Amino acid sequence: MKIIVGIADMQVADNPGASLITYSLGSCIGITIYDPVAKIAGLLHYMLPDSQIDRQKAQENPSMFADTGIPLLFREAYELGAEKRRMQVKVAGGAQILDESGFFNIGKRNYMALRKIFWANNVLIHAEDVGGNVNRTLSVELPSGKVSVKTSGDGIREL
Amino acid sequence: MSLVENILQSVSELPPFPVVIQRALQLIDDPRSSAQDVVDVIQYDQSITLDVLRLCNSAYFGLGRTVDSLREALVMIGFNQLLEIILSRESVKLYGRACKGYDLDEGDLWRHSVACALLSRIIAKRLNRDASPAHFTAALLHDMGKMVLSKFVEDYFEEIRSFTQKGSLSFVEAEREVLGIDHAELGGRITELWRFPCSIVSPVRYHHAPFSTQENQDVVQLIYLCDTVALMTGIGGGADGLSYHAHGEVMKQYNLREKDIERFIILLEDRFQLVDEILNRR
Repeated sequence: MKIIVGIADMQVADNPGASLITYSLGSCIGITIYDPVAKIAGLLHYMLPDSQIDRQKAQENPSMFADTGIPLLFREAYELGAEKRRMQVKVAGGAQILDESGFFNIGKRNYMALRKIFWANNVLIHAEDVGGNVNRTLSVELPSGKVSVKTSGDGIREL
Repeated sequence: MSLVENILQSVSELPPFPVVIQRALQLIDDPRSSAQDVVDVIQYDQSITLDVLRLCNSAYFGLGRTVDSLREALVMIGFNQLLEIILSRESVKLYGRACKGYDLDEGDLWRHSVACALLSRIIAKRLNRDASPAHFTAALLHDMGKMVLSKFVEDYFEEIRSFTQKGSLSFVEAEREVLGIDHAELGGRITELWRFPCSIVSPVRYHHAPFSTQENQDVVQLIYLCDTVALMTGIGGGADGLSYHAHGEVMKQYNLREKDIERFIILLEDRFQLVDEILNRR
């Protein structure tokens, strides 16, 4: 069963046939988590680094921001029985336009926000495909935990 | 026949320009027209009327009462909103096909274009300007050139990509280098052919090079910014990705900061529900 994770959206799953997929990651970032023992997977597609900019929006939709979406992703997976020490974390997205001015570098800041949160919480990134100026599609399958990235205009590869 | 001639000739394969948009746009240009004229244009088209009413009664507008006539809809949501619903809905017909060259599925380019059009409203508001249906239209049409150029991009994709991967050229520059014409210029020609005014042709033609023209500078820069923000979100994004140059001068000119871009994205995410509402019936 294919579950589509929208923009500024998050889903977790524990049924063996499920696959979570998110399309059109530009500057946005997609994170997949997978617990190989409990066979639980989650996928978050966030758009912006920091919820400080709009607290009300963060309450309505925590998946919009890195600092509210990432904790929620892990929490929901824990609720299904996943454990932090077993979690495999993979990251894709964070692209940038060709910018020397620095006005349009949300991709980079999205990635820095994630690094900061993971560092503070002792979470390791197992694999990543970030930066550049491409659009990406990210998916994670159950029960295998196989994570794939498709780069628009290019092929699919396992992450 | 040269490649460019070949490309220009295939403009004729585009779907016909939707009559309702054409009539609605004539009304925008005519200062004597009134909201009632718009109602007159669409009231005989039952499917549009039904869609407008359905959208007015959707969660998106949250009007808290049932709207059951076009006249009432007009009172409740206003002339500009009504026009924008009609334009967004009708433009599905223009962008219906998939664009393999850009690795875009059916509807992707329409999504990107509507995102851009919604941003024209969001950014205009931030700049304390009136929302302009002409800007909305220019934003909606800015990527028309891709519909035609797609099959040529597909044929020459590896060459184009070799230029962008070297990092020296943006996608639009690489198109020009390899094909002799790019999707922005082609879009300019298409809108000229459809007899659009300069205020729409210029932003379409210069949406990747906002400082290359003196004409209609203001709308050209606005549409450039809308497209850039829309590209960043990835909504309806394709193989060209974010491979376009930034023009930070536009931000400086408007006195906007990085944080403003983030706010635009938040507002866009809210408004984008409109797209789902339109598509729900399809």
